Amino acid sequence: MVCRTLQLSIMAVAEMDVLQYEDFKPGPRAQMEWGFGGRRRWRDGALLMALFLGGIGAGQFVISTWFIHSITSALVGLLVVGVGKTVAHLVYLGQPTRFYRLFLRPRTSWVSRGLIFMVVFVVFAAAYLAPDIGFGWVPWTAETTLGQALWLGAVLSASLVMVYDGFVLASCKSITSWHTALMPPLFFTYAIAGGVAMTYLTMTATGGKILNQSTMTNLDAILLTTMFALVVIYIINMAASTSTARESLRRLTSTKLAITFIGLAIVAGLLVPLTLTYYDQLEVGGAVASVLLAFSCILELAGDLSVRHSILRAGLHAPVFSEGL
Amino acid sequence: MLALVRWGMVIDLKRCTACHSCSVACKAEHHTPPGVFWAKVVRMESGKYPTVTRQALPLLCMNCKEPECKDVCPTGATTKRPDGIVVVDSKKCVGCRYCAVACPYGARNFAGEWKDYFTGDSKPSSAFAEHSRKKWLEESDRGVVSKCNFCVERVDQGRKPACVNACPCEARTFGDLDDPESEVSQLIKKRRGMQLHPEYGTDASVYYLPAR
Repeated sequence: MVCRTLQLSIMAVAEMDVLQYEDFKPGPRAQMEWGFGGRRRWRDGALLMALFLGGIGAGQFVISTWFIHSITSALVGLLVVGVGKTVAHLVYLGQPTRFYRLFLRPRTSWVSRGLIFMVVFVVFAAAYLAPDIGFGWVPWTAETTLGQALWLGAVLSASLVMVYDGFVLASCKSITSWHTALMPPLFFTYAIAGGVAMTYLTMTATGGKILNQSTMTNLDAILLTTMFALVVIYIINMAASTSTARESLRRLTSTKLAITFIGLAIVAGLLVPLTLTYYDQLEVGGAVASVLLAFSCILELAGDLSVRHSILRAGLHAPVFSEGL
Repeated sequence: MLALVRWGMVIDLKRCTACHSCSVACKAEHHTPPGVFWAKVVRMESGKYPTVTRQALPLLCMNCKEPECKDVCPTGATTKRPDGIVVVDSKKCVGCRYCAVACPYGARNFAGEWKDYFTGDSKPSSAFAEHSRKKWLEESDRGVVSKCNFCVERVDQGRKPACVNACPCEARTFGDLDDPESEVSQLIKKRRGMQLHPEYGTDASVYYLPAR
């Protein structure tokens, strides 16, 4: 009993030492609230998962309904947002039973706005898919004017779901590596690319035929190139910004985080899929190309998660000590 | 309600000896659990041998005039009173911690569970720990964000915040920033008091008098 108490005390003190070190740092201070490795370790990672699932799910719905007209894939996208993102948010919250309060301040808070976009998306997308998933009694189909209006509403709200997390991060003034106009386009592009990858994987898993496969591959290549360009601009922007942003860049490139950022997000999540996508365009089709494309999609999703994790973990508050004190 | 005051604090860095009395007084007043510091002291070394200086910076919620935390709060749990004190309603907070990320001063604290100081366990190990747990849960809650509120319950009774009362060096002065004749206003004027991170436009209600 005494040993157990002692062990618990040591564990508690050791854990607090690590976490409170950041709170008492005079220099740039890492944000410890969002993402894996936060104040509550794994549980704080649920927020990262919520952002990730929201992005790829909304992206999958848009790609599935716009390019390949697959109800199955669109439904998976809807479920990823409606169930996956919602559950992840509830797991993250300190008081999940009060979740309804999150919708109360859309005038000033991007979190409120984002969750309202999510609900609107789920409502529009579910209504659009309803006739095709067993609710044939509804007075519209996908081809009717009302059905098209619902689709438009779902696509617009899905776009907002994909982009809002970028605005959430960009609104934090004291974290200079986040407080940049690059955040919304970066998150949006990653979400769309994640949607393409999810669509391809869902179609492969369900054995469905992918219409417009070449269009999909071209879109993926364009998205990967855009993402690469945005990441490069983001790095250059950090290098040319404040000392806190440069410290964020140092963490991204020369600490343990570099494995995630350079290894997973850039090399495995961008460069390898880009090479495989171009290879797929050059090579004749067939089983090998399909397997490579599926592999490329898995890497893209891993890269998407890694880049979000890296950005969250490299978020540093500017030092509280100022010149002249 | 129209308030005629804007409460603020002036901290004289020349007088602060980093004794942490403010942190202890705050903990005694609010029974904050381990890991939660509404008032803390950050220390920094600068320069090179033989001209090294060590400086202390007591930190607390700046109770800003334009609080970032209030704007980003999605629930409306964070509000600003007419007298300028920013308060968190723990019954409305959901623990999303957007405010803690947005605050440039690191003044917001999150406690997932109450923990005993000595065992690190969520079960109180003594009668005082039980009292402390009850007090904490009355004032705040588990799974929500909390922060310094200038000891609002004491201020409402016409008393000074606990940290101001406890500071043995009298480094802290509390008063009305809107009154040009008040001690805080006079100190800011005479000693060129400065706010932390004025570039964010938060207009903090805590001013620091330079150590040098």
